[in-house]
Amino acid sequence: MKKLLLLVAISAITGVNGQIDRSVRPKAAAAPAINIKNSEVFKTANGITVVLSENHKLPRVSFNMVMGASPMIEGSKSGLNQLMGQLILSGTTARSKDVLDKEIDYMGATLNADGTSLYLSCLTKHLEKSLGIMQDVLMNPAFPESEFARIKKQAESGLMAAKSSPDEMAGNAERKIDFPNHPNSDVMNEASLAAITRDDIVANFKQIFTPDGAYLVIVGDINKEQASKMVDQYFGSWKGTAVYKQDYSSLFKNKGNRVVFVNKPGAVQSVINVTFPVAVKPGEKDQLALNVLNSIFGGGAFGSRLMQNLREDKAYTYGCYSDLQVTRDGSWLSASGSFRNDVSDSAITQLLYEFNRIAEGFVTDDELNLAKSVMAGSFARSLESPQTIARFALNIIRNNLESDYYQNYLKRLDAITKEDVLNMAQKYFTNGFNIIVVGNEAVLDKIKVFDADGKIEKLDAFGNEVKDVKKATITADELLTNYVNAVTLTNSPKALAKKMKKIKSISKETSITIPGAPMTLKLTEVNIAPNKEAMKLEAQGMVFTSSYFDGTKGAEKNMQTGEKTMTEAEITAKKKSAGFFPEMTYKSTGMVYELKGIETINNKDYYVLATNDGESQRFDYYDVTTYMKYKTNSISQQGGESAEITVMYDDYREVNGLMIPYKLVQVIGEMSLEGTVKEVLFNSKIDDSLFK
Amino acid sequence: MKKAIIAALLVSSITPSFAQEKVKYVEYNLPNGMHVILHEEHATPIVAVSVMYHVGSKNENPNRTGFAHFFEHLLFEGSTNIKRGEYSELVEKNGGALNANTSQDRTYYYELLSSNQLELGLWLESERLLHAKVEQTGVETQREVVKEEKRQRVDNQPYASFMENMFKLAYKNHPYNWVPIGSMEHLNAAQEIDYVNFYRTFYVPANAVLSIAGDINIEQTKKWIEKYFGSIPKGEAINLYRDFENLTDADFEAKYSVKKSAFNAADFNNPKDAKAKDVLKIAANKAIEIPRPKGMFEPINGIVKDTVYDNIQLPAVFMGYKFPKETDADFAALELLNAVLSGSTSSRMNKNIIEKKEQAVAAFSFAFNMEDPGMGIVAAIAAGGVEIPSLEASLNEEIELIQKELISVEEFEKIRNQFENQLVSSNSSVAGIAENLAQNYMYFGSTELINKQMERYMSVTREDIQRVAKKYLTQDNRIVLYYLPKGN
Repeated sequence: MKKLLLLVAISAITGVNGQIDRSVRPKAAAAPAINIKNSEVFKTANGITVVLSENHKLPRVSFNMVMGASPMIEGSKSGLNQLMGQLILSGTTARSKDVLDKEIDYMGATLNADGTSLYLSCLTKHLEKSLGIMQDVLMNPAFPESEFARIKKQAESGLMAAKSSPDEMAGNAERKIDFPNHPNSDVMNEASLAAITRDDIVANFKQIFTPDGAYLVIVGDINKEQASKMVDQYFGSWKGTAVYKQDYSSLFKNKGNRVVFVNKPGAVQSVINVTFPVAVKPGEKDQLALNVLNSIFGGGAFGSRLMQNLREDKAYTYGCYSDLQVTRDGSWLSASGSFRNDVSDSAITQLLYEFNRIAEGFVTDDELNLAKSVMAGSFARSLESPQTIARFALNIIRNNLESDYYQNYLKRLDAITKEDVLNMAQKYFTNGFNIIVVGNEAVLDKIKVFDADGKIEKLDAFGNEVKDVKKATITADELLTNYVNAVTLTNSPKALAKKMKKIKSISKETSITIPGAPMTLKLTEVNIAPNKEAMKLEAQGMVFTSSYFDGTKGAEKNMQTGEKTMTEAEITAKKKSAGFFPEMTYKSTGMVYELKGIETINNKDYYVLATNDGESQRFDYYDVTTYMKYKTNSISQQGGESAEITVMYDDYREVNGLMIPYKLVQVIGEMSLEGTVKEVLFNSKIDDSLFK
Repeated sequence: MKKAIIAALLVSSITPSFAQEKVKYVEYNLPNGMHVILHEEHATPIVAVSVMYHVGSKNENPNRTGFAHFFEHLLFEGSTNIKRGEYSELVEKNGGALNANTSQDRTYYYELLSSNQLELGLWLESERLLHAKVEQTGVETQREVVKEEKRQRVDNQPYASFMENMFKLAYKNHPYNWVPIGSMEHLNAAQEIDYVNFYRTFYVPANAVLSIAGDINIEQTKKWIEKYFGSIPKGEAINLYRDFENLTDADFEAKYSVKKSAFNAADFNNPKDAKAKDVLKIAANKAIEIPRPKGMFEPINGIVKDTVYDNIQLPAVFMGYKFPKETDADFAALELLNAVLSGSTSSRMNKNIIEKKEQAVAAFSFAFNMEDPGMGIVAAIAAGGVEIPSLEASLNEEIELIQKELISVEEFEKIRNQFENQLVSSNSSVAGIAENLAQNYMYFGSTELINKQMERYMSVTREDIQRVAKKYLTQDNRIVLYYLPKGN
């Protein structure tokens, strides 16, 4: 009964408090004080600076060994350090990769590596054993030959994929153009990857991984006494070379705007990136105001200026953002997005307009407040992780910041005014923009006006200069004749006619492997004179896809999408490219073709022949000395998207008087398939079911 | 000194007390039945504000599957005091982050805010609970968003339909028969009355847990909770309030025989009018009945096999066993059992089936954490050229081995180490703590279990693992699904 009374009393009180105007939105209380605990810092005899951020909330510890070396210019071996990082955990002289994996597994621990650091995380009670393994990896990595070969192969596929990614191409161009003669411009390419040896990897590791100048960041459940003991025990005997140091801060800026073009044949969108190096180092006075400026300009929320103008107002794009990267070795800003071809020039105009506009007048109070709130919020939330606290401590040391730099972060952020933001824009957003365009050659003429001297520089997928295509000294028809003669081993129309007359059909079986996939695929291709053809792709008796064309009609069957018969347009196009060697009949079938000139790839010259059958565009590359086909790029449009397939041919062998490439590599998007021809049959019995 | 440290480490790994950091909290009920859990820690000036509603897909009408999840989307649309689109904007403008998710058993909403914005978070969540507002455009938009979500996460993902297929076969008399994403036809068929009824039944204080963790002052927080949530009417009175806001004068009077004007919007709980007082009192004393399915263990009894043709290249086999509910004493042993089978490179299925026999490209086992008796899955995707029956036989071999032989001490130590590591890390963020507190209270009826997890898992013995393997992983307690490539 007493209880009941109490309840009544409470609800009566509730009643009094019940008056509430819900339409009034609560105001924020006073901003909380940010208390960032100081980290302990001490140095070891062999040169390691230890940063300890104690946190006993949970019984776990992490050790992150970060190398102090400056990045190196890699030049002809670009990508070396990146590759080395991927190999660090592939075993030690005492532990095979399997043993290493198993021991880490047993403790539920984590061990990660890249080209400049080694990171361990585990429960406190497994620390000693885990450190033993970390020490072993650091001091005795084995870099086994087999793993080196495997990782290198993986990287090759990665490079092929890069050529179909316009964003990656734009990023590569950005690094080359913003930072000439600087480690940032070391972009891995086919030639540089091929040049890297296992010895290079071992040497690179030795040069970068050294205690001299290294930082060991320890976070978690460990005190200073224990930490210094462990560091001494496990890393005290570590020896290495003197740390490599180099200052790369002397950046330059262009005098006028510069347009850089990367060709992506058949592209329906241009990736446009307006970028420039920024002479600001981490922690310098301008950095925070510059961050606020970038947030308002295009780096922040949905309401930023670039997004509002180019997406919401003009609908040129799905998204347009700016990004400011501030690093010790070089900083830069980029404003970018993907824009359909016909507005590529308008998009550049608007991007430049926004750069000018923000340098001409104050941002609004709303813009400034939103930017500050978003930045303050993410700063505050980031503090929950002890890793953040350690990172701050490390930044303070590496960037020579005031010891209370992060303690005062929110205060400094709050103090930034519209005037500060305008000053930053006027100081840094001045003329001299690098305008990188990755896209279709069709947009070239329209973007010339943005270049100060009207001369557009052209780069390849990895940011290397493309020499303009050399003019060919032969005609397209001569090229076709030479090619046909070369692959048929004939030298006159008469000899050719005689040879071809004997060939009724060619049937070819190819075995195809997909990197990482457990099975091999079987590809069967059949050609019947004059222009019938069929193919079938299968594995273990399961047919994934098949297609045929019998001279008048055809169809494609796909396991996932079902059967599709060829449309009239597809049939018309197919007639132009069917036959044993379609090049023989280009003239009579109405194929549109043009010899573009000579292009140099990996120091070899190739004739480039562009063809168009009305459905897809192709670029065939023929060796200038042997006339053999080196590769084919086909581009077709599907629902506004362009799909690109590259086939490379190699290992030509003579079979029955014809030269047949026995090795094929096909690249579609990110996937690369390798084919090896197993069997070529002439005039054999053909399975009729292929043509149904 | 070195010896001493090693000795200390040894001792700590031998003593059964796998120390778990205690999570401190206070909890209480508001008079309207809402349960409140508060965890105070000042390490970082942020706070997680969350509300867990005890409603999931298992509370759905069988003709309206997918409704609980769809409703979660709708409840970001706004309220009487929050315009459409403003809900998330308010959080982001104030430097916060927010999200939500829905399972078979509960729906969970949360905001992560700077701690000086706690009151904003409470106001936002109380608005969602008291009088969310959904316009027709919002319904249409969110329906499309949910459909895209299903396409992306289920229809377009190989094997992803296994869950739907498995539960359909395993549950004949329980709403676990369908999965949270539900049926798009059902969502298309939904009428306004469905939304209204769902909201009035499940989105009420007595069906919700407010869980707050972070840099808070408990006394001040309690005052704000009293203001924003304590003022929400009790029992059916919340729906009286909603009617007061939404019905016309005439409709309201027809329903309650009292004029709307007898109530005062600003002080709804204290009407001056005697009749209004009476109506309010009756409504407040009338508890809302929340329909809950009976969570009985329903054995499968007999082998059930089925074949699914999917857009896949490699065949697969999924074996689903009926498991006890998460609160059952056997559940922890079953989870350890799963870790023996799969999950790390050195686990049995990985070593034997993937690496040695090369029969599979992937092999895994896991248990669904559910309030009512759920399921455990043992599955593998075949390597090229491997027939499903031989792969199935290998999976069976692994299961039989665990049933026949005790696992080795070394293996046992390994999985204990792995679990310990997981459990230690599970309460590392305030967001994680807020959710764990709420879930322990809602599923297990005991918030304190958050501090007993280590004990729960570490008390499992090798014999327990063998025993539950024999008890649950039996031939006639399972569904076997073959996944085969579509076409041809």
